[in-house]
Amino acid sequence: MLKNYLLLAWRVLLRRRFFTAISLFGISLTLVVLMVATALLDHTFAPMAPEVRQDRTLVIFNGTLVGPHSTWRDGAGFQLIDRYARNLSNVERVAMISFPEDVFSYPGGTRVQSSLRRSDAEYWRILDFEFLEGGPFADQDVRNGSRVAVINAATRDRFFGAAPAVGRWIDADGQRFRVVGVVANVSASRPVSTGDIFVPYTTAKTDAYKTRLLGGFMGILLGRSPADLPGIKAEFASRVASAPMPDKDYEHLYAPAETYFESVAADTFGQRNDDTTRAERLWIAIVGAALLFLLLPTVNLVNLNVSRIMERASEIGVRKAFGASTGTLVTQFIVENVMLTLLGGAIGFVLSAVALKAITAAELIEHARLAINGRVFLYGLGLSLVFGLLSGVYPAWRMARLNPVAALKGVGR
Amino acid sequence: MIRHLFTLVWNRKRSNLLIAVEVLLSFIVLSAVTTFAVFYADNYRKPLGFDVDRIWVISAEAHASAGRTSMTVESDGSDKAAAATQADRERIDRRAMMAQLLLALRDLPEVESVAAAAVTPYGGNTWTSDIEIGGRHHRFGMSAGTDDFARTMGLEMLRGRWFTREDDGSAWRPVVVNERVARELFPAKDPVGQFIVEDRQGHAAANPADRMRIVGVIREYRKDGEYAAPENFVFDRVRLDDTRADVADARDIVIRVRPGTTAAFEERAVAVLRNAAPEWTFQAEALSQSRDTALQYWLAPLTAAAVVSLFLLVMVAMGLSGVLWLHVTQRTREVGLRRAKGATAVDIRRQLVGEVVVLTAIATTVGLAILVQFPILEVFSAVSPFVYGVSLAISLVCIYALTMACAWTPARMASVIQPADALRYE
Repeated sequence: MLKNYLLLAWRVLLRRRFFTAISLFGISLTLVVLMVATALLDHTFAPMAPEVRQDRTLVIFNGTLVGPHSTWRDGAGFQLIDRYARNLSNVERVAMISFPEDVFSYPGGTRVQSSLRRSDAEYWRILDFEFLEGGPFADQDVRNGSRVAVINAATRDRFFGAAPAVGRWIDADGQRFRVVGVVANVSASRPVSTGDIFVPYTTAKTDAYKTRLLGGFMGILLGRSPADLPGIKAEFASRVASAPMPDKDYEHLYAPAETYFESVAADTFGQRNDDTTRAERLWIAIVGAALLFLLLPTVNLVNLNVSRIMERASEIGVRKAFGASTGTLVTQFIVENVMLTLLGGAIGFVLSAVALKAITAAELIEHARLAINGRVFLYGLGLSLVFGLLSGVYPAWRMARLNPVAALKGVGR
Repeated sequence: MIRHLFTLVWNRKRSNLLIAVEVLLSFIVLSAVTTFAVFYADNYRKPLGFDVDRIWVISAEAHASAGRTSMTVESDGSDKAAAATQADRERIDRRAMMAQLLLALRDLPEVESVAAAAVTPYGGNTWTSDIEIGGRHHRFGMSAGTDDFARTMGLEMLRGRWFTREDDGSAWRPVVVNERVARELFPAKDPVGQFIVEDRQGHAAANPADRMRIVGVIREYRKDGEYAAPENFVFDRVRLDDTRADVADARDIVIRVRPGTTAAFEERAVAVLRNAAPEWTFQAEALSQSRDTALQYWLAPLTAAAVVSLFLLVMVAMGLSGVLWLHVTQRTREVGLRRAKGATAVDIRRQLVGEVVVLTAIATTVGLAILVQFPILEVFSAVSPFVYGVSLAISLVCIYALTMACAWTPARMASVIQPADALRYE
């Protein structure tokens, strides 16, 4: 029976090629936009190498000092992490890494711009980088302030071509470092792990950072299990709340330990000073935007479907007169509609893959390799089905209400 | 005929309403996109005011920091007397070092001329000044440059001169303005030598050394590049040996190199600077490269808006086709009757396309009524009526072309209906 439905649906769609083409075009374009947006969101927030332990990691991105007349917001400072983020319960490891800094070098007369980051040795134990050559620098290197560096593949290519880089020297912002490891490129959309050159933080040009409560770093906390995260958040927040103020101008310090998604939500919805997260709001905003976006195409598709049904009013009238139940007719129509949306969805998948390849090639986000992975594919499939069902309900209802006598007589609506 | 078409459209207002709204929406978005595009194209034609080739900009920062992070510091100016003298000392040192750096660069063989400036092109920095003059409000883009700046950047002097040592002992604040300011403030007389007197200065015994006096007029200085709208621009003089706090500070070094200099020069220049000031951080970039990057950023929102516009146009196509198909299906008897009474296939086609044109006209008229508010109310004062006019014309043509193309197939479908088939159901 299903085969009959499919065959009939196929014939019907072929009958009016122009309208089928327009429907497919509209559906696939809608789905391309949704798929590309989903792929970008997935690329930015979902766990991805080297952030494989993301489900039990919290990051201290920034801190805010608030006083009656002044507010100072900046990245977490060395003091904030060193004094308050160590020895929290259920935290396996604590690491710190500086915010990216653009530095210039001139290997062989060409100019190279790199993103430099200064970290400690624990950083390499929390993040799971793929080492193409060599390995990370060790605690010893950090203690001694050794001029060693881990670079990414892109930097290796820029400085040395495709040749092995371990043991060679690079110059960044006037300092010379010896390469000890080469890692695979990480997309610029991952603030915790992106970077071209990683060096020990003790190689900084001045020691000023050591005295600062705020400024320059991200603190990374690895919990023992995902369930420990709320406890870690609360404990760190209570420590921060009782921290002494560096200056008489300020009265409170706020420094949340959070996931990147929560941090973006906080920035979007303006939360700096209290402890409730805005993550749910961001979720609702994303889902709401998707639904709103789907509204216009759905309404248009509904219109097209209603037209398709009304054109076949006499055919439906005949079938009803011969005893076809409403259920059979509605099922046939739904099959037609879902087939149309899945076909549009398939075209949409192909087009999204092309679009994502184009975005990757245009390097809109540096080092990003955007693609449709399993998660994104499932979301896309789900969206197509939702779309098909939404745009099929109303027309099916209209069809069920068709009076066979009126339909056979040709009296329009 | 036209009135008849209106009646036909009105009869089916429920199903036509959605389409009309979609056409309205996509017309507005399309107009926004075309206005952007035409605005950029129009600005591109206008003079830039300075040279881009053979110029390097090196931004100099006095202390190396652990990383660049966003820092917002708002303070109501509570007393920090001790900190003030510390800031003074730092400023004097900084300016002295900057003068030394300029001297060091002048010695390089490739360098034709060197200057220091506050706001350089494509740098993304903005310094504006709002003044009341004669009761009218004026906004000026500001920058500041040393005495060699005009020669280094290749500024086109129209009248007067750039800053020189002559201005050292002056009892006023020498400024160089662009042609736009000269025309706006002194349309009838020679602007050189005129004072720009702010209203608040006219009254109380303000410091006469604060009054701006025009010493020269340049053609233009569009610091944001080819796509930016022209604006009023005023240059202050930078004196690196001046220790006062309220005199402009220059953090960018501008170098003009001789023809034939390669990109390798950049490394040498930065090495010289690092040698002279090891704790400072220098970022060098050829101005042509800054331009390419900046122009890309300017185009990004336009591209995004164009994608949205394309999407909406496709939606219009979808919706319109659906509605027209339905119309054709439901009006077979009407068409058949007309054919029986002698209407030709062409007449039927014309009627359907006519209805679509009327529908589009209703939607675009409402759209025009909304959009025409923008130039009238001067919401975006930088955009001229000419730009609006051209972009509206382009958008109208596109919308009409789209809707008429969508009407083509349904119209053809209607025109092949045979009168006998249509009237059979009666």
